[in-house]
Amino acid sequence: MIRGTIEVAEEICKGCELCITACPQESIALSERINALGYRVVALARDNCTGCVNCALVCPEGAITVYRLKKEAIVKNPVLAEGVSS
Amino acid sequence: MIKHENEPRLMKGNEALAEAALRAGLQAYFGYPITPQSEILEYFTAEAPKRGCVVLQAESELAAINMVFGAAGAGARVMTSSSSPGISLMQEGLSYMASAQLPCLVVNVNRGGPGLGTIQPSQGDYFQATKGGGHGDYHLIVLAPSSVQEMADFVFDAFRLAEEYRNPAMILADGALGQMMEKVALPMRGSLPYSEKKWATKGKPETRERNIITSLFIQPESMEKVNLGLQEKYVRLRKEVRYEALHTGDADILLVAFGLSARICQKALELARAQGINVGLFRPITLYPFPSEALAAHASRASSLLTVEMNSGQMVEDVRLAVNGQRPVHFAGRMGGMIPSPEDVLKQIEILAADRAVMQERN
Repeated sequence: MIRGTIEVAEEICKGCELCITACPQESIALSERINALGYRVVALARDNCTGCVNCALVCPEGAITVYRLKKEAIVKNPVLAEGVSS
Repeated sequence: MIKHENEPRLMKGNEALAEAALRAGLQAYFGYPITPQSEILEYFTAEAPKRGCVVLQAESELAAINMVFGAAGAGARVMTSSSSPGISLMQEGLSYMASAQLPCLVVNVNRGGPGLGTIQPSQGDYFQATKGGGHGDYHLIVLAPSSVQEMADFVFDAFRLAEEYRNPAMILADGALGQMMEKVALPMRGSLPYSEKKWATKGKPETRERNIITSLFIQPESMEKVNLGLQEKYVRLRKEVRYEALHTGDADILLVAFGLSARICQKALELARAQGINVGLFRPITLYPFPSEALAAHASRASSLLTVEMNSGQMVEDVRLAVNGQRPVHFAGRMGGMIPSPEDVLKQIEILAADRAVMQERN
């Protein structure tokens, strides 16, 4: 399976939770962190992200960047490889 | 009539409202930042100076509303915006302006309270918006948008009403409407003509007497005369009531909701109808004047009413007054920045429908 991760631009996020609904893996959740505007921002809560980009597409603020890990990186990294098999 | 652009845009509610205000020929904006409406001030700061509109970040909400007072007295098309705690600070100025009969637009992007509260959406300011808010016998004209499109359109309606009736008008939105992005066809410039304000204080020509704008009428006889004038104006205002009725023709349970709650109810209505429960939706658009007569007419066909609000039950009092004991009026809502889901509303509808089935069986 493809592994991915997300980066949230926390100063733009308004905690609307659309990405939480859009994530098929249920990887995203509201964090306890509050940004300068006072909103609770979202964060990756579980490491089962597949990099499907749904969250970034629905984000009205364009606050989410999605990264996909290269296959080689997963194979070479025993920690990541373990994550894949589980 | 408002003319719209053909090409729709994707805009945030706050930004669409600010852009619409500039297109409505706004001459001055005074405000102070507060989440969740800061985008209005930010948009004006970037755009207004380029388009011949004065924009100033005041030192406080108190200063902002009094700047609005001054500009309105000089006959300018002027507005301010804030969110719940900031609107509370403006109440003194609003009462003065209602008494002095000055037109202006105040936008309240309602957040959870009381106190400093939260920054999430709420409708807890319904009482404050519709019953006056400050001291004395007065009302604001209150419009409640339920989409980004209406956030833009109601700016035009609010200015028209405010100027025609010489009364402050309020757009009562909430944090979600301000922050959410939706398709919007922006109103076109020139849709709202500006008529010369003969009462404005901007220099006395030889041809007329002095214009005086004041809210101080120290003789009770003259103060009563002003009050009678205001009350007469509120009666005239009743012809401006606006509402939207959805599937009310065959509705057994009539939902009553405004603003964002009405959007939630619309979804709940679809879910209920899919189950075969005949549900209708009545959405007041003008919260003051409240569409009491229209609501009573629509309610007469239903067996019960369910008012849904993002507060502890405020508009439900006006709904009960409108229905005047003819039908049972129930309430469902959440507070403090929490938003009810369509499924929450559906659950309440199911309970009412089950009650009705039991009653019918007994009969």
